[in-house]
Amino acid sequence: MRILILATFLIPLALFLTTQIPVTLTADEVSTAVSDAIAEAQINVDEEEVTAATQLAVAKLETAQRNRLKYLAGAYFVIWLVFMLYVLRVEQQQKALDKRLSQLETEES
Amino acid sequence: MKIITIFTATLLFISLYLVFGYAPIESTMLEVQKIFYFHVSAALTVFVAFGVNFVMSIKYLIKRKPTDDLLAAAAAELGLVFCTIALLSGPIWARYAWNTWWNWEPRLTSTLILWLMYVGYFILRSAFAEDKRRIYSAVLGIIAYLDVPIVYYAVDIWQGGLHPDRGTKWNLAPPMQWTWMVSLVAFILLFVLLTGLRYQLKKTEARYEMIHNVPGP
Repeated sequence: MRILILATFLIPLALFLTTQIPVTLTADEVSTAVSDAIAEAQINVDEEEVTAATQLAVAKLETAQRNRLKYLAGAYFVIWLVFMLYVLRVEQQQKALDKRLSQLETEES
Repeated sequence: MKIITIFTATLLFISLYLVFGYAPIESTMLEVQKIFYFHVSAALTVFVAFGVNFVMSIKYLIKRKPTDDLLAAAAAELGLVFCTIALLSGPIWARYAWNTWWNWEPRLTSTLILWLMYVGYFILRSAFAEDKRRIYSAVLGIIAYLDVPIVYYAVDIWQGGLHPDRGTKWNLAPPMQWTWMVSLVAFILLFVLLTGLRYQLKKTEARYEMIHNVPGP
């Protein structure tokens, strides 16, 4: 049971890291993408201003997403912790009972 | 028991994959909405768990079989665990959605009362000797269960609460609906599995107490 609980923590963590964590874009990546987009669209705009605005927008979106993921991860961790603590408690009770039973058997024999 | 353990474990992993890798991101609350799959499943499992406690408590009062009392107690214990999960995961979601950790709105308040009543159930169980304990806790189990429909219909009885309507969870997009259904079944199976284990342990404990308390020749 302990292995099951541990696996339920580690597998989603791996899924979380591979699918949910946003890829943080660097300033250079944003700048290159904006240049490419302007060239592709063949429009006449101030590239520096568009790049600055895009970088700000990307940073804001990434911060908001990181914040949301903290709530999701927090809720998941709390649920996992409650189960883990419960399973450990039951396991302890089981061990104590096994010990008492073996003592009883020894007394009888 | 081994088959149900393997099946529960498999379903839990499938549900985790569905929650994090398959279910689409909802448009209003974005990633935070994924808490729904755990929170609502835990809350509905609470109703199942306390329902088992209710039925077994009635059965005990009619037939006076100690094993019914043990099963009622095991179900109540797991119900309390799932209720704790619902009460802890809810505020994390609420902090993002409602901008507050707690609000004394009808469903939250009635759920807290439900939790407190079942905490009382276990305090009562530890306070009395065996025969009285069984009868009193069966009566309390029946009374406490009366709060379950109040929790479920709280959004209808007291309008204006922060929780969404009861029907919201049935109006999800099909991929979200499937993810939630699998999560719910996985949580209920986990409840069945853990209740089974707890019941066996309680039965062994009861047998030990019986042997241990028998006076020697």
